[in-house]
Amino acid sequence: MSGRHPPIPDPPADTRTTTPRAQRPARRAQRPARRTLLRASAAGAFATATGGLAAACGSAAGQGPGKVAVHGDNANWEAPFDAAGKAMRSVAGVRLVPEVIPSLESFEQIVKSSLRTNKTPDLLKYWSGYRLRDLARTGGLEDLTREWEDAESRGWVEPTLREAFTHEGRVYGLPMNLAYWVFFYNPEVFAEHRLTAPRTWDDFLTACTRLKDNGITPLHGTTAGRWPAFIWFQEILSRQDPRFYDDLMNGRERYTDPRAERALRTIAGFFDKDWFTSMDVDHNNAAAAAVHGKVGMVPCGSWLGSVFTAAGGKPGKSVDAFILPMADPSARPSVIFESSAFAATVKGADKKEARKAAGSWLHPEVATAFAHALQDGSPNPLVKPASVIIEGVARQARDDNLWLLNRFWEQGPPELVESTVDDLAGMLIDPHSYRDGLRTMQERADEAWKVWREAEKS
Amino acid sequence: MTDTVSTAGPARPVRARRRIPVRSPHQAAKANATRRMGGPLAGVPWALPALALVGVLLIYPFFRSIYGSFFEDNGFTSSFTGLDNYTRLADDPIFGRSLLNTFLWVAGTLVLPVAVGLAIAVATHRMRLGWLAQLVIVLPFAISGVATAALWRFILNTDGALNEVLRGVGLGSWAQGWLLEWPQNTLSMIVASTWQATGLNVVLFAIGLRAIPKETVEAAELDGARGWRMFRYITLPQLRAVTVVVIGMAIVNSLKAFDMVWALTQGGPSRSSETLALTMYREAFRLFHVGYGSAIALVLSVIVVASSWAYLRRQMPGAKD
Repeated sequence: MSGRHPPIPDPPADTRTTTPRAQRPARRAQRPARRTLLRASAAGAFATATGGLAAACGSAAGQGPGKVAVHGDNANWEAPFDAAGKAMRSVAGVRLVPEVIPSLESFEQIVKSSLRTNKTPDLLKYWSGYRLRDLARTGGLEDLTREWEDAESRGWVEPTLREAFTHEGRVYGLPMNLAYWVFFYNPEVFAEHRLTAPRTWDDFLTACTRLKDNGITPLHGTTAGRWPAFIWFQEILSRQDPRFYDDLMNGRERYTDPRAERALRTIAGFFDKDWFTSMDVDHNNAAAAAVHGKVGMVPCGSWLGSVFTAAGGKPGKSVDAFILPMADPSARPSVIFESSAFAATVKGADKKEARKAAGSWLHPEVATAFAHALQDGSPNPLVKPASVIIEGVARQARDDNLWLLNRFWEQGPPELVESTVDDLAGMLIDPHSYRDGLRTMQERADEAWKVWREAEKS
Repeated sequence: MTDTVSTAGPARPVRARRRIPVRSPHQAAKANATRRMGGPLAGVPWALPALALVGVLLIYPFFRSIYGSFFEDNGFTSSFTGLDNYTRLADDPIFGRSLLNTFLWVAGTLVLPVAVGLAIAVATHRMRLGWLAQLVIVLPFAISGVATAALWRFILNTDGALNEVLRGVGLGSWAQGWLLEWPQNTLSMIVASTWQATGLNVVLFAIGLRAIPKETVEAAELDGARGWRMFRYITLPQLRAVTVVVIGMAIVNSLKAFDMVWALTQGGPSRSSETLALTMYREAFRLFHVGYGSAIALVLSVIVVASSWAYLRRQMPGAKD
């Protein structure tokens, strides 16, 4: 059923007809109009199809002179980008236009699928470590070694971070933030139970025991949102043997090693003592529970500080943070860090502005505006800490000369990390299944590292 | 082709026979019309937009997925691997669990929303204020899947409302992490989905019940049919057409269960609550195993089409021919 009217026939050549002849030319005059309509509809259909395709293919467009878009996956970073953009305009004459794709999946898909096309975003907020290398080895990212060296020579960047942004000796991203992985706690609750921020592993265990004895769940652990499943493995392993953590994360050691088992056995021991929250309490609820004295310690990146303040925590008073002490005092003191990469694409529409923006990203004025709006640590040592919490942690990292180890999420082939977080989640649900879990992780690691290394060679 | 009014003769006063001017579609369609409209292909331009949309958004991706399933593709590089992706499915425990979860969803959706929907519709059919009860049950259907999931997360969390209630009534030993372990995470989500999906089934069954002729019911009553016998031998057979639709919809919807699972557990912990739709999504779009994801998509499509076809062929009157 086409849905169109049947064609109206010509009036008959009959004298009895009541249809005036004079009207006939007018009818004929309608015919071309109908044909025109048909042509127009055909053209419309073609335009709809091709136009739709064109629209579907487009993603990023240039921003015009003096502006450059920076794409990210986190809506909370929009205001910090704006603040940094304003500072950048006065420093380098380039304005950052934040464009947030508030879904990690969509963001990654858009970046990966558009990187080799001229529709790719100009600037990206991306992950550091292996995820950045994964992108850099496609040839789609600009080499920012010159910008890094320039910033380093001026003292604008922490030099030890370079490795996390390097692929085959070249730098492909500049650090945007520097979050330390810490344990948040409520100093008022600790004081009430005659506790202070732990300085040794025994202090930490004492704090857990005393909080538990006083009806407070000592530790937050969770699988909610998937990725947080790695937190406890990362924290315990890096405190027991930071060298092994680094080697394991870089494919030089095996998950079936007794040292990995020991870390998971320690975690299982914490479960046996009932020190953990249930595994479906997310970070927002955990932060609120810590502020209200229901949960003792919440391990996370220092960026979670803003969630604590939003939950009513007062920095330095009812919320503070410490770096988990080393379980092995003879091991090199270390801390896990997290830093996002400011990367420029080769095929972006505003490449010139993007390079200019990268050149000024670590400028103290830009870095200060960004870090203070984000309320997180800065990779630029000249930037004044955004809060007393950041100040305390950064001072400890500096004074104790802590070894900065990149976080689990950025370590190892991304495909491996995506799978092993699920294995770690399984071990948090069934803590004594760690031997099977580690065996599975090693099988995945064997395959993933083989693929990664083959790709490195090609 | 216009006929005119005529009279038989001037002398006799006869009743004038009016001939009504008529033009049948058959007459209208002939003459020069076909030629003027460009022949049998005249309709093609009108169908082009729809054809283009279906072609670009449905047919091409379908065949592209089949083609892609024979490749190892990580989004950047791709190499032909033949049937490797399909043989991997057989060895993949996550795919096995996902398949099992999907069948749990199908079974659960058939048992709960369909059976409960039918029971509620029958129970409230002749009840005073039954329409009000039906309205209340339909309300959750108006809530989006993600909002429903947010509500049920509040209920099913370990510190959530359900466990609080259980502890409150002295059944604390039953309290557990409903979303943390298999199979209760999948079963809990099926119950959550039932809460939302039952309303539509109630409406459909209520419409079916209203369409049953009163005469058949009265005749059965005269024959002494009551209660279960009335339902089993009179009501249920006459609901057959509606039941076919409801069950068909339930099968397809449960096979593609995604939003509730994604919003509540993201398929976790440890991928224990994934369905085929979720596994396909994670493999293709999170792990960038595009070829493997395409193979899962094809398996899911085959299951959906085959089960729907088999069911409808068996149930639809005259479909066996």
